[in-house]
Amino acid sequence: MNIKKENSLVFWLFLAPVLLAFTVVIIVPFFLGVFYSFTNWSSSAKADGGLQFIGLRNYTESFKDPAFAHSFGVTVIYTIFNMMFINVVAFALALLVTSKIKLRKIYRVGFFVPNLIGGLILGYIWQFLFNNALPSLGKAVPALAALASPENLLLARPTSAIVALIIVGTWQYAGYIMMIYIAAIENVPVELHEAAMIDGASPMERLRAITLPMAAQAFTVTMFLTLVQSFKQFDVNVSLTSGGPSTMFQGVPVLGTELLALNIYNTAFLSNFLAMGQARAVVFFLVLAVIALVQVAVNKKKELEL
Amino acid sequence: MKKSLIVMFIALLAVAVLFTGCAKKEEPVKITTLTLAQGKPEIDAALKAYAATWGTANNVTVTIKSIGGTSGGLGPALKADFAAGDMPDLFAFDGLESYKEWENLVLDVSSEPWVSKTAVAFKYNNKVFGFPVAVEGWGMAYNADLLAKAGIDPATLNNYDGYMNAFAKLDSMKKELGIDSVVSMAASIEMGWVTAHHNFNSLLANGLPYGDLSVVDALLAGNVDATRLSEYADWVELLFKYADKTVLTTGNYDSQVGAFATGKAAFLHQGNWVDGNLKGVATFKMAFAPHGSMKKATDGIFVAAPSFYAINKDSKNLAMAKKFLTDLATTPEGAQYMVKEAGMIPAYSGISLQPEGQLSQSVQAWSAAGKVYSWSQYYFTGDFRDKTLNPLYNQFATGKINKAQFVDLMTKALIANKK
Repeated sequence: MNIKKENSLVFWLFLAPVLLAFTVVIIVPFFLGVFYSFTNWSSSAKADGGLQFIGLRNYTESFKDPAFAHSFGVTVIYTIFNMMFINVVAFALALLVTSKIKLRKIYRVGFFVPNLIGGLILGYIWQFLFNNALPSLGKAVPALAALASPENLLLARPTSAIVALIIVGTWQYAGYIMMIYIAAIENVPVELHEAAMIDGASPMERLRAITLPMAAQAFTVTMFLTLVQSFKQFDVNVSLTSGGPSTMFQGVPVLGTELLALNIYNTAFLSNFLAMGQARAVVFFLVLAVIALVQVAVNKKKELEL
Repeated sequence: MKKSLIVMFIALLAVAVLFTGCAKKEEPVKITTLTLAQGKPEIDAALKAYAATWGTANNVTVTIKSIGGTSGGLGPALKADFAAGDMPDLFAFDGLESYKEWENLVLDVSSEPWVSKTAVAFKYNNKVFGFPVAVEGWGMAYNADLLAKAGIDPATLNNYDGYMNAFAKLDSMKKELGIDSVVSMAASIEMGWVTAHHNFNSLLANGLPYGDLSVVDALLAGNVDATRLSEYADWVELLFKYADKTVLTTGNYDSQVGAFATGKAAFLHQGNWVDGNLKGVATFKMAFAPHGSMKKATDGIFVAAPSFYAINKDSKNLAMAKKFLTDLATTPEGAQYMVKEAGMIPAYSGISLQPEGQLSQSVQAWSAAGKVYSWSQYYFTGDFRDKTLNPLYNQFATGKINKAQFVDLMTKALIANKK
C-alpha cells in the first residue's frame, strides 16, 4: 500500500463516524422530508390510512392559506428588525467593553449570560416581565402610570407583541454576537489607530475609517448568524406569545405573531397536517438558503484583504 | 475520485458494523414491559407510584410517559413514536377526532369487565374503544364566601340574566369585597383551550340532554342557529367584559387560576382539575354553577371523561395491558390511586372513596343529581378549534372585533368548516 492510498484510507476512516451521523440524521431525513411533502403522510393509524402520492397539493394549499402568507410577512419583518437591532446593540456593546471602561470583563460576562439561558425559559421570564413586572412598576411609579393600563400591555396587540419578540431576541442574542465583534475589534492592528491619531483623526473618524472596514469579515459572520437565527426563531415565539394575539388578514383571523417555524409546527401538530407542514418546511428551507447565500455574497464583497 | 468513493463507502460500512455490533451486545432480558403514554402531567407522580407497585405484583415493568398540554401535547409525541415503530401499549386520546387518527390501532375492548361499571366509556359504532381515565367537569367556579357577602344566591346563576345581575352587582362592590375583577377568564392564544375548547362547548351542548348531538351535527353541516349563537355571543361578551383585562388578554394558566385562588376574582372559568392548584392556597368555600350561555335556565354543568386509554392492537402484551386497565377500575388499590393519590373523580361504580377537592366534590354532586351536559367540542377538529376559533375569541377579547363581527365571523367559520 503506497503512502497516498494509506493517507486516503486514514482520511476517510477518521471522517466516517461524522459522515455516517450526517447521513443518518441530516441527509436521509431531508430527502425523506421532501418525499413526504408530496404525499398525504400523517404518521397515524387512520382507517383510510396508507401513503398516497398527492403531487403538489400540499404546496398549492399552503400558498392559498392566509395564515402561511401572514407568517411569511411577519417573519421577514421580524428578521429585518431583529438583525438590525442585534447587530447595532452587539457592536455598541463590543465597543463599550473594548474601551478602557472599568469592570469591562464583568460587563462582557454579563452581556453574554442571557445567551446561556434556554429560549423557552427566557420567553416565560419575559412574559412575566411584560405582563406583571411592568404593570406593577407603572402602579408604583406615578411617572410610568401608563404602563399599568391593560391597553398598553406589549403582548396584548400584534404589532407591539412583535416589538416584544424583538426586544427579547436582541437581549438573548446580542451578547453572543458581541463576542464575535470583540474578537474582530481587538484584531485591528494598533499601529493603524496610532497613525490615525497622530494625523489628528477623532474617535468617530477612526471608527468609520478603520474599525468598521477592518471588522467587515466579522459582519459577514454576524449577519449570517443573526439572519438564520431570526428566521428560524421558534422557542421564544412559543413561550412568549404562542403566536398571539390574533389579527385579521385577508378577511380571516390569523395568529398575529406566528413566525414561520411556529406556523410549520402548528400546521403539523395542531392541525394534524404533517405532510403539509413538511411542504412548508421545504419552502422555508429554500427561501432561507437563497436569502442566506445572497447575504453572504454581498457581505463578502465588502471584506478587506490586508 | 472513484477509488476514494469506494474507500469512503467501505469506511462507512465499517463504522456502521461497529455500531450495530455494539447494540447486539445487550442480550434481551425476558421481562414483560408495558408502556403507557398519557396526557395529564398532574397525575404523573401518583400514576408512576401505582404502576410501580402494580408492576412488582404482576412481574411487569410499567413505563409511564406523561406529556401534557392540549392538542399540542401528547399528539406529536405519539406521532413520533408511531413513526419510529415504538408505539406505546396503552395511550390516551381525548375524543372522536383523535380516535380517528389512531382508528386502525385501537383495540375493541367491549367485552372487558370494567365496561359495565362505567357510563362514560368511549364508544364508536356501538363498540367500546376507550377506558375513561376519570370524570371531570367544568362550569363557573365561584367563591361562595364572596357571593354570600354580596348577597347573591348561587341558585340564581343558571341563565344569562342571572349572571348579568350578579356580575353587575359584584362589579359595583369591588372595593368592599377586595376583588380586582368579577371573573377570572383567559383568552390569550396560549389559553385557547379555555375559550375555543371549553367555552365553545356551551354553544354545542348547554341545555341539551346528555349525549344530544343535534347542535353539533347542525353546525358540522354548516347550519348555524342564529338565535343560539347570538345568545352565546352575549355570554362570551359578558365574561370578557367583567374579566381582568391583563389576565384576559395576556394571562396564562397560573395567572388565571391565581386570581381566583387569592380571592381577587369571584368566579373562575375552569374545571375541577384546578383543585390541585388551589390546595393550601384557597381557604374559602367554593363550588360550580352552570354556564349562563342561554336566556333560558340551564341547570347543569359540563361533565364527561376528559380522556380515554386505548389499548394498542399490536401490543406484544395484550393480556397484561387489559389486566392493567381492569385492575385500575376494579381493585381497591386502583380506587385508592385514582381518588386519593391522583385526586380524580372515578368514572366507575362501586368506588366509595371521595375526592378531597371542593370543586371535584361539586362535580360529583351535580353528577349525582343527574344535572350534567355533554362535552361535544371533540367533534370538531383540532385545526378548526385551535387555528380558526382560538384567534376569533382572542380578537373579541382584545377588542379588535365587536360582538356583531364575532357572530358574523363565527358563522362564516362554521359554514367554511362544513364537511
